[in-house]
Amino acid sequence: MNRRDVLRAVGGTSLIGLAGCAGLFETRSARAPPLPENRPDAVYYPTHYEGMKMPGMKEQGGYRCAITYSYAHRFWLMKPNGITKVEIQPEDSIHLMPVVWETQTGIIPPDINPQLTITQNGESIDQFAPWPMLSQPMGFHFGDNAQLQGDGTYTVEVSIGGPSTRRTGSLAENQGNTSFTFEFEFSESTLNEISYTDIPDDKEGTKGAVDLMDMEMLPNSQVPTPDALPGDVRGSETSGDAKFAITVVEDASRFGGDEEQKYLAVSPRTPYNRTMLPMMSLSATLQRDGTSVFDGILQATIDSDLRYHYGTTVADVLTGDELTITVDSPPQTARHEGYETAFVDMPDVQVTL
Amino acid sequence: MSDERGIPRREFLKSAIAIGGTAAFSACLGREEVDVPTGPDDLSSYPQRQHAWNEVLPRDDHGNIIAPSHRVLLYLNYRRDGQPNEDDRDQVETALRGIEHAYERSGDGLLLTVSYSPAYFYRFDDSLPDDVDLPDPEALAPFEEPEFDTPDAVVHLASNTAQVVLGAEEALKGNKSTLNGVDQPDAALTDVFSLADRRTGFIGDGLPAENADDAEGVPADKVPEDAPLFMGFKSGFKKNQASEDRVTIQSGPFAGGTTQHISKLQLNLNQWYNQDDRWQREAKMFCPYHAENDVIEGAGDNLGTSSKIDDCQPTDETAREMGVVGHSQKSARARDDDDSPLILRRDFDSTDGGAASLHFLALQRRITDFVDTREAMNGTDVTEQSAVGQRNNNGILQYIRTERRGNFLVPPRSLRALPPGQPAGDAQEVTHESS
Ligand code: HEM
Repeated sequence: MNRRDVLRAVGGTSLIGLAGCAGLFETRSARAPPLPENRPDAVYYPTHYEGMKMPGMKEQGGYRCAITYSYAHRFWLMKPNGITKVEIQPEDSIHLMPVVWETQTGIIPPDINPQLTITQNGESIDQFAPWPMLSQPMGFHFGDNAQLQGDGTYTVEVSIGGPSTRRTGSLAENQGNTSFTFEFEFSESTLNEISYTDIPDDKEGTKGAVDLMDMEMLPNSQVPTPDALPGDVRGSETSGDAKFAITVVEDASRFGGDEEQKYLAVSPRTPYNRTMLPMMSLSATLQRDGTSVFDGILQATIDSDLRYHYGTTVADVLTGDELTITVDSPPQTARHEGYETAFVDMPDVQVTL
Repeated sequence: MSDERGIPRREFLKSAIAIGGTAAFSACLGREEVDVPTGPDDLSSYPQRQHAWNEVLPRDDHGNIIAPSHRVLLYLNYRRDGQPNEDDRDQVETALRGIEHAYERSGDGLLLTVSYSPAYFYRFDDSLPDDVDLPDPEALAPFEEPEFDTPDAVVHLASNTAQVVLGAEEALKGNKSTLNGVDQPDAALTDVFSLADRRTGFIGDGLPAENADDAEGVPADKVPEDAPLFMGFKSGFKKNQASEDRVTIQSGPFAGGTTQHISKLQLNLNQWYNQDDRWQREAKMFCPYHAENDVIEGAGDNLGTSSKIDDCQPTDETAREMGVVGHSQKSARARDDDDSPLILRRDFDSTDGGAASLHFLALQRRITDFVDTREAMNGTDVTEQSAVGQRNNNGILQYIRTERRGNFLVPPRSLRALPPGQPAGDAQEVTHESS
């Protein structure tokens, strides 16, 4: 069913009470129907989900970049004490998402924040740095609503800078700093071809998540299943509906330690979809027989096997060690519907290794 | 007061600066009812420091300097290849003196500096003395790719009176035989220099809101009516600025001068005003403590003489525990042993090219001081160790994009006309006779 059909269906049934203003707000209310009532403090099925279009893909300097878009979206920005809802503005035409990944590994680096410049015949139309975001069908991505000026050809320049999260091995060599230019043919009618799937009333707002979109040619932002993680996987716990997989890697030399040391890695992910959860402040204590053997931060790190994770070098990890992971800040990524109530209040995670 | 078409007076004045030219100037004369005193015949009492503006600028109720509201930056290329000759120096000095005789040196009158780029100094066999730290401009963040400004010179004209800035500019271009009733010399700056670029702007309570219509992408009615800058907050508190002494070169032939960095920053006000809320704006501009405790009223005039940054927690702590750090909080990490900021900010907003932007003009003893300050503002160290992103929740980095950077030397007044690279030790005495 495409969005038109939904509009028709909606106009004829559930929104009948709004008949008076349906004509006026039809587009917007269908794009952003009322939020489910009683949303759980957990990942939940949103009211609907949408597909996307990919007008182009480029490769440059060890990175690939695809330009993708969908309908303008409402979303939430994080604050230490809650979230701020960002409504769709009347001028917003699309949700624009430049997806940048490391060509070799397919890793989408959350620390490389693209800058977008949209022009038309040399005239500036819009420019912004899209927000880092989490969405159920799109996973982790950068995106924001863009304000185009109707049907036409636009030039979108995506520029990326260097990394700011620690990387291991050869990943550290790529200093980024490149740009990708796309010619983008936009029309309202193509936009309206993008699929729009309503989630039944009895399902929306209940715990669960829509699947990641099957994005041909695009990598996803998942982290490995616990058993696919390198090292000795020592547990998996939940906090704020996020799953934390814990593994201990022999030989910490790749992570700034030495061969004798161990690397303790924590790999948080969304439930259901295994999407990475970047931009957190995590710290940990490791207790052995009542004494602390480690107390410090877990540094965000990108590694080709562990992917995006948080970790520290430790002298050793013994069976029976008590690990406490503290979430000093939950993921500061913006959230799409279904993720805004999860990964906000995140109590300590405790595991006996 | 309105003109015939009902354009409010101030609204007209700012557009005039952006447009420039003799027509804008004459139009201004008719609308701006001011009587700016002329400058003295004898200019010999003028300070050696071209950047000594503070003593003649008005202050607000708290004693903070009020930055001059109208600005023009003229980017100039010396027409002659190779080393400058005395005729050209005379011409430049004479032209500058012409406008100084026409308008007194004050906030309502004219303030100006003339500065020179590293590219200008490459024409001399001798490199600049060691006392002068003036490297070529470079990118100052891992995530920016600015273009570099390499014209030879920049003239900065500033006044609280729009017609003064426009009049001075026209006179420097040789378009005025009299200015403010004062005969102008037969010497134009533009005979010696060609104009490479012209940048304009404004700063001051209410001006950004009034100028909002001139720029694309400024959310309607969102810039507060009384804010001095587009982003809605007061800036340049006394205690958060370096003093003129702090930024002055102390020794060598350029003693009394300073270095100047000018960047052009593109602003994204849509995210700032339409997506973030007030809490986020306060936290990201100042620090989360200020947002949590409602420290800032409106644009922040209630803060008094400082941004009260001492009340914020340490930047790395805030980053870890709140996931967000403020611009002022981060930038204040670049202070010297006396707890003074390293740079003196004389930035201003702009609608050049029809986009909301900011010309970030800063003075510092050495360009390195700027580089260190900008590094503190980047917070790359903070992002590595916390939830704060490269731009996300990282002060105001989300909303600014560096388009251009340039470095300049503002020599002492006696050397402001086409200075040599290694002035003789007594260069300061070689001033032109006061005319
Ligand atoms: C859109 C651009 C900018 C805006 C709106 C802005 C605004 C502000 C505000 C409101 C403050 C606190 C109030 C005060 O001035 O004391 C501040 C402080 C400061 N800003 Fe900016 N700023 C901008 C860009 C920059 C840039 C590019 C730099 C250069 C590195 C910079 C350096 C500083 C410094 C050094 C301080 C004072 C820190 C201290 O207290 O030691 N700012 N700014």
